[in-house]
Amino acid sequence: MELRDINYNKGEYVETASGNKVCRQTILCGSQNIILQGKVIVQSEAIIRGDLANVKTGRYCIISKEAVLRPPYKKFSKGVAFFPLNMGDHVFVGERSVVNAAVVGNYVYIGKNCVIGRRCTLKDCCVIEDNTILAPETVVPPFTRYGGSPGVQVGDLPECQADVMVDFTRGYYQHFQPLKLI
Amino acid sequence: MAYITGPDVVKYACTCGLLKPITHLYFCRYCTQIRCSFCVCHEIDSNFCGKCSENIPSSEARLKKNRCGNCYVCPSCQQDLSTRIASKGSANPEEAKSTPKKMYYLLCQFCRWSSRDVGIPDQSTVTGGWPKRENVHANRLQELVDSYKAIILASKKHQQDKEKKKRVKCLSYTDRTGVTAAAIRKRLGLPADMTHPMLKNRPKNPEPAKAKSEVEDLPDSIFTEPLNLAEIMSIEQRLLQPEQQPTTVDKLFPVHKQLSIKRSLRCRSCEHNVSKPEYNPNSVKFKIQLFAYYIIPEIRIVTVEPLRSGKTSELIVKFTNPTQHQTTITFFELDLDEVESVVTEEVAEVAESFEQSLYLQEKQQLSLPSLGSLSQPSSLLASRTPSITVKPRRIKEDLNCKIGIPESSFILLPRDDAAEYDDSGDSHNIQDDPKLVKWRKSNKAFIRLYVTPNEDLPLNSEVTCGFVMQHIYTNTITSKVENKEPQQYNHKVKVFLTLGNSVGCD
Repeated sequence: MELRDINYNKGEYVETASGNKVCRQTILCGSQNIILQGKVIVQSEAIIRGDLANVKTGRYCIISKEAVLRPPYKKFSKGVAFFPLNMGDHVFVGERSVVNAAVVGNYVYIGKNCVIGRRCTLKDCCVIEDNTILAPETVVPPFTRYGGSPGVQVGDLPECQADVMVDFTRGYYQHFQPLKLI
Repeated sequence: MAYITGPDVVKYACTCGLLKPITHLYFCRYCTQIRCSFCVCHEIDSNFCGKCSENIPSSEARLKKNRCGNCYVCPSCQQDLSTRIASKGSANPEEAKSTPKKMYYLLCQFCRWSSRDVGIPDQSTVTGGWPKRENVHANRLQELVDSYKAIILASKKHQQDKEKKKRVKCLSYTDRTGVTAAAIRKRLGLPADMTHPMLKNRPKNPEPAKAKSEVEDLPDSIFTEPLNLAEIMSIEQRLLQPEQQPTTVDKLFPVHKQLSIKRSLRCRSCEHNVSKPEYNPNSVKFKIQLFAYYIIPEIRIVTVEPLRSGKTSELIVKFTNPTQHQTTITFFELDLDEVESVVTEEVAEVAESFEQSLYLQEKQQLSLPSLGSLSQPSSLLASRTPSITVKPRRIKEDLNCKIGIPESSFILLPRDDAAEYDDSGDSHNIQDDPKLVKWRKSNKAFIRLYVTPNEDLPLNSEVTCGFVMQHIYTNTITSKVENKEPQQYNHKVKVFLTLGNSVGCD
């Protein structure tokens, strides 16, 4: 199915020179530590915790409504340290998902209501189905589909998944248009 | 989106007759046929561990029973186990000031199972040296495996001998000269009787298992003590450890993580690769990628008017050209009965060609002069012929909707990656049929079709329609073609659309 146009109120979004579209109703903590590479959409009520550590996203990432990006921490004998959260290109994060991963590769699809546990590594080309809970420090290999609680491999992905994701995120960005007042 | 999560509403028919979304199909450019995962050969390229991303050679993988040596999964919930550090102070109080020794144990971060729960002592190295549990039946299993291996070896040898004999028979001059093999043996002073090779070196049979007539009685405690289900393992947990199959949770032991594979796919009829991944387990790139998604125009449903039985509705579909070559799309009526006749024809053709190749092979064998070196090239020849001829089957799909086949065809422009950054707007000069083409941009076109669900269609039933799409496939293999002009083929694909449920009249 072809995507429908997704309309937003022009007043609610800020568009940067590099094409990032960020909603005003988001909580971006420590904005100096957040890098959005361009053509990234951050929708309303999303939370990005840049105050904990650096958060870096690639191009064409989509952070849906009420999603949370939160750098992971690691406990040491002398206390707690936060690690940066790196996200690749063409990543989709679904509504109300919490991403606590250390690395999210390129061409990754994370569904709705997911919890990506602390210090997980999502390799390139993987899909996390809706309502999945990934245990901390899980490694998701390429071309796998994870689902369930606890998240386990439930299937494989076709070899052309990278291009499918490129097409999907580009299409999403093109269909994410401001409401035209008539 | 539909390819990632949703139902597959647009399906393409593979040459073998199965319906698949385009992302799951391959296109062999040597046969110019669509292939799916059921009609290609799967070959294991490399084994790797999904957690530590380490490539493991196949011999080592076989030795380790396809499991990673360093990574473990939780025996309770099958999640990856992580190694945790526990610093332990020295037991000797006099050396309390010295640095505490680091000890490691395994912990599941999902269900909090740890190696300490079952009394596995902490280890002093990160990678473990975790104790392995000896299988009480290991010797017996090894004995059985060995004996079966010997049987396989013997039968293989037997078959080879037989083949050799057969070939010698048809090629030797004994028939013409009247000297038989037995006569030669006699002349050479060898014993004339030849025992059957299977009997000669028959492998030793394993010791048969003995049934016990006396079985231990159930302990009394099983009748008197209440059962605690929390201590009993689930079926999944037991089957994770097939050697032991313990019943109570205090015998859970960490399990080595199973390896994943990278595989390459090979067309069965021409033995060319259609997919070959790069060696690195983390790489998502391919050395050979003949996926249908890159070659055959993609069809997506954009909108469809409410479907009522017997009434015509408008359907808008989007065509995308993924190739660097311009193509022309033409529609044809889909007739499943016709498909069947084509199928039978194809089967006959395949059978004929197969026979012919066999005949050729035989001829070649006869013309080969030497006797001893014969087995080598003929086996090579055999491996190049199709391993399994795939018999196409009839497409099983109920079509309950007619589609108006447009008479005119339309052009799809080549894909241009720079078009995204081009703001000059549409600069094409294509005379389109305005009834057919609703709108077009770069390599995409929105096409208007008309569908009519059948009159007798009950309410709320799924509406499916189908048509044949013909596109021009430009073959870019230059090695085979002498003139450098790329060859163009008209390639037909059967496409099936699931349009949604029918609604009532209002």
